[in-house]
Amino acid sequence: MDKHIPTTATVLNSLLRADLTTQWRNRRSFVLVLLVPVIILISWKGVIDKLGGAFALSSCITIGLVATGLMGYSNSIARDRDKGVFQRLRVAPMPSWCIMASRLIVQLLMITLLTVIVFIAGNNIDHITLSPTGYAITFFTAIIGGAVYLGLGQVVVGLIQNPETVNSTVRLIYFVFIIVGMFGEFGILGEQVKEMVKWSPYGTVKAVIAAGMLPETWNGDTTTSLFVTIGYAVLFSVIGIRKFKWNNK
Amino acid sequence: MNRNTYILSVEGLNVYYGTFHAVHDVSFNVLPGEIFGLLGPNGAGKTSTLSAIEGLLKPRSGSVIISGYDIREKPLHARAVIGVQLQATSFQPELTVSEILKLYAGVYGVELNKEKLQAILKEIKLEDAAGKKFGQLSGGQQQRVSLAISTMHNPKLVLLDEPTTGLDPQSRRQLWERMESMREQGHAVLLTTHSMEEAEAVCDRVAIIDHGRLIAIDTPQALIENNRTNPEVIKASRRGKITLEDVFIGLTGKAIRS
Repeated sequence: MDKHIPTTATVLNSLLRADLTTQWRNRRSFVLVLLVPVIILISWKGVIDKLGGAFALSSCITIGLVATGLMGYSNSIARDRDKGVFQRLRVAPMPSWCIMASRLIVQLLMITLLTVIVFIAGNNIDHITLSPTGYAITFFTAIIGGAVYLGLGQVVVGLIQNPETVNSTVRLIYFVFIIVGMFGEFGILGEQVKEMVKWSPYGTVKAVIAAGMLPETWNGDTTTSLFVTIGYAVLFSVIGIRKFKWNNK
Repeated sequence: MNRNTYILSVEGLNVYYGTFHAVHDVSFNVLPGEIFGLLGPNGAGKTSTLSAIEGLLKPRSGSVIISGYDIREKPLHARAVIGVQLQATSFQPELTVSEILKLYAGVYGVELNKEKLQAILKEIKLEDAAGKKFGQLSGGQQQRVSLAISTMHNPKLVLLDEPTTGLDPQSRRQLWERMESMREQGHAVLLTTHSMEEAEAVCDRVAIIDHGRLIAIDTPQALIENNRTNPEVIKASRRGKITLEDVFIGLTGKAIRS
């Protein structure tokens, strides 16, 4: 007699419930992820008029995306791989992609939540408001931007096995992205660095998010940035998936 | 005997890690209602063999048929009839015992209502720990949860990778009783172990694997009888009486493995 094989929907539903519960129990780390964008919004309060609301919000969302994709995702994958959580799931009658799909859905929900919280904080702290179209497009561009950093996180866990090394590596990348990205963008580090930052994963994602907030400012450069962003997401995902090992033993 | 008569049939299995040949041409079968032990020193190839059976690693050659399903051709069908307890702790530490049971019920397609959940918790003597996080459980409690999950879908074959490592004598005895009760219900059990006492106590047949090769396969008693006059086994004997451990040491050598 054939044994019952559960449907993919049943499996995904169970995995999602467990992954969301795990995320909820680790909510403190998400609060820490939110802290940096909120601090930036508070500290830029006096210069919002000069910088522009879209610039401030897009910087904060981009930084939040880097933290979620790189630190949240990579660390949880590295830890669960080290504990053998994935191997235990992989011996069950389900396709392995379900395990990662569930994790990614949770991260996409976190990205959406992060975007909402930055909007609320931006409105309450700096009185920044966007048009309804601006809000709608930003959710879409934030998810595309998030895909870049989730892909980059996948590259890190693909190339590095040890969870402690993954943790220190993503912190270093996060730090570099924030410092070089923000200072480079302001031109403090010179014109060459400014140009490099513009076409880096930080710069293209931020450009797309900023232009999405003010659709009337979308131009040829933004479209190029969008294609480059998608290119980064695909490139990182391909490398990350190809190099990824379910077991670090 | 037809290969389909066996619950598990492993034929000519070869596993490589890069250029390292970890499992050499290993073949054995497990019958329904049999407890089969896979014994071997550290790094002998036990876990690699088990991983190939579970479909976690791809052998270079050979076949693994579980209840008529080839693990490489029909992995989901094959996995649906096996229950697995891995060597390492393998559940999210933030989830509670009942959340983990619910997760795996969904993953194995088992309907788990409140009564059934309570029955499982009662069976593993964790009724009071249902709301406890997995990371807060003792080693013995974690093993019981893991075993409950590996058998909750009523599998035909249960694979246990060193299940009693780190357990106290009471928990170990309890696990042996569970294995015996599984055998009585017609389930087959394949376990890897370092404990010769365990192999002698619960296994119907054992296979000794060393340097990736199967060097002996028989009932524990027959292995002792057949090697009674083996000079290496006699040399390994410590109390004049030949035990399975003496046979094991005699066949695999005294050198400590990595």
